[in-house]
Amino acid sequence: MSDSGAKSGPEPSERTTIGITFGNSNSSIAYLVDDKPEVIANEDGDRQIPTILSYVDGEEYYGQQAKNFLVRNPQNTVAYFRDFLGKEFKAIDPTHNHASSHPQESGETVSFTIKDKAGEEEAASTLAVSEVATRYLRRLVSAATEYLGKKVTSAVITIPTNFNDKQKAALVAAAAAADLEVLQLISEPVAAVLAYDARPEAKIEDKVIVVAELGGTRSDVAVVASRGGMYTVLATVHDYEFAGVALDKVLMDHFAKDFMKKNSGAADPRENARNLAKLRLEAEATKRALSLGANASFSVESLADGIDFASTINRLRYETIARAVFEGLNRLVESAVKKAGLDVLDVDEVILSGGTSHTPRIAANLGNIFPQKTRILAPATDVTAINPSELQARGAALQASLIQDYEAEDIDQSTHAAVTTVPHVANAIGVISLNEAGEEVFVPVVQPETAVPARRTVHVSAPNGGDVLIKVVEGNTHIKVTKPEPKVKEDESKAAKVEDADDSDEDDSDFSDEEEEEEKREKVWKIGSTLAEAALKGVKKGGKVEVSITVGSDLSVIVTAREVGGKGGVRGTLTSA
Amino acid sequence: MEATVIPLPLPALPEGWEAENNFKAIGKITQEGATQRTLEPVGPYFLAHARRARHKRTFSEDDR
Ligand SMILES: Nc1ncnc2c1ncn2[C@@H]1O[C@H](COP(=O)(O)OP(=O)(O)OP(=O)(O)O)[C@@H](O)[C@H]1O
Ligand SMILES: [Mg+2]
Repeated sequence: MSDSGAKSGPEPSERTTIGITFGNSNSSIAYLVDDKPEVIANEDGDRQIPTILSYVDGEEYYGQQAKNFLVRNPQNTVAYFRDFLGKEFKAIDPTHNHASSHPQESGETVSFTIKDKAGEEEAASTLAVSEVATRYLRRLVSAATEYLGKKVTSAVITIPTNFNDKQKAALVAAAAAADLEVLQLISEPVAAVLAYDARPEAKIEDKVIVVAELGGTRSDVAVVASRGGMYTVLATVHDYEFAGVALDKVLMDHFAKDFMKKNSGAADPRENARNLAKLRLEAEATKRALSLGANASFSVESLADGIDFASTINRLRYETIARAVFEGLNRLVESAVKKAGLDVLDVDEVILSGGTSHTPRIAANLGNIFPQKTRILAPATDVTAINPSELQARGAALQASLIQDYEAEDIDQSTHAAVTTVPHVANAIGVISLNEAGEEVFVPVVQPETAVPARRTVHVSAPNGGDVLIKVVEGNTHIKVTKPEPKVKEDESKAAKVEDADDSDEDDSDFSDEEEEEEKREKVWKIGSTLAEAALKGVKKGGKVEVSITVGSDLSVIVTAREVGGKGGVRGTLTSA
Repeated sequence: MEATVIPLPLPALPEGWEAENNFKAIGKITQEGATQRTLEPVGPYFLAHARRARHKRTFSEDDR
């Protein structure tokens, strides 16, 4: 099928593709080496490249170099602009742009006024946010091109789940202006899931995954039903208050006060733009160091009034002063699970993605709200975790390599709603087995929220052999709560109560006795209506029965059962209602 | 996907159970039993799904 003149991207055979994550704070580029995604370091050696452009004497700087100019050249530095693409001025939140070039209204879009040319007499330019994005993307592409030694032509780029069509179109256009073909925009949480699923040791299973995308200016949580390697987003929540910069702020306030305490009479470094910028840069560095070590130093030359300042902080102290932010993140994750109509007991994995996910306390706190069996995939809680700062770019690179040989038109067709929007079964479909007590129990074969068509196969034991019944039923779960045995009330010994450190005088319920007598919550399957019965006769002793359930796109069901290693078997069909 | 192994045994066939071809169709999945949702068009398994959908192929045809 050739549709002449539709799109003018490169021929599939002429593409060089990469994956890009383009954040408000940082961006990354990745590509595949021997089927393994690798995040590329730019010419400065950075894999997390600050999403910042800065102009000094007509010279363009990007990434970490541009970030450093936030101290000396903030007015010609553009930062935190990704979320402005495709938006009108009145719809943006300029909070994070106070310390750099200010966004302004310009027609339907947002722009920045920057002196981007050399010479005193040159006037400043008004750059639309799309132009800023184009210039920045051009730098990313050229870094990748230099690294690969081949001109990068095409990319898969990750976007937040709440990007609307206008924002998507603006991003694609900004990339096109940078001579970059966007093969596909994929959502950030799904890129993270793909990065994990593509590991050679990964098993494709039906599971519910919570992806917490914790960045600098925003935290986004998605609940994803992962079914046979296909992903459906069940719910998303977004927050712009509890994210990395809020943690920076906590440390900035801490060290500013510390500075003033140790230098009586000195000015508040937060009251001068330049001092504030220094404070911010160093606070962020200290914060990152606290993800690795139990202590971190903070040191700024001439923090205020020409006074140098050096101090340290330990992790415990940091975790105390940052508690409100950490608790906000916990609530955000809990609200996402709730919005999906699920319980924490339904969640099999929590993937922590984004720079802030390096914070050990955040991972530990999430571990506490989910049951023991839920895997918390973060560096602090799982040694096999992938670097959270690399998940999105890796996922994008994997997707790019999967589709790079397709014609643009084929990609469009495959991502069209006619292909992607399909029925998902609401209930589980499974078979009846007998538990140790000989009671009937539901064994799920097809999990709820599985997209159809779907086929699942299980091997069920038939230890006694003979004639067995395969009863196919629907099922769903409920949470069974067992109240604790009322126990004899012990006398609360006042002496055992330890006074807390200075700033946490309110009662911390985590440490109260109530914890021990917590009610027990478990997820149990309930047997629903019967769909079919099948008989398999003459199974040999110690045999196994393979049951396969296929649900069609019209919700018809095909059941097959046969003895594993045996011949024949039964097959039946349920037509759709 | 690999078959999951279930250690709990299947019940024995009740005395007198009989059906043509050893199969009794009893219920069905109703439209209310399903929700329209959107699959993320990402990953190798989705691409296989899209291929089957676009060429109107079944799983077994796809296996061949
Ligand atoms: N090791 C670390 N420990 C703690 N925080 C870190 C660490 N590394 C990076 N961060 C923080 O992560 C945040 C940036 O996250 P990320 O790189 O995912 O950016 P992003 O997705 O562009 O952010 P945004 O939410 O602004 O779009 C910053 O606040 C940064 O300080
Ligand atoms: Mg992000």
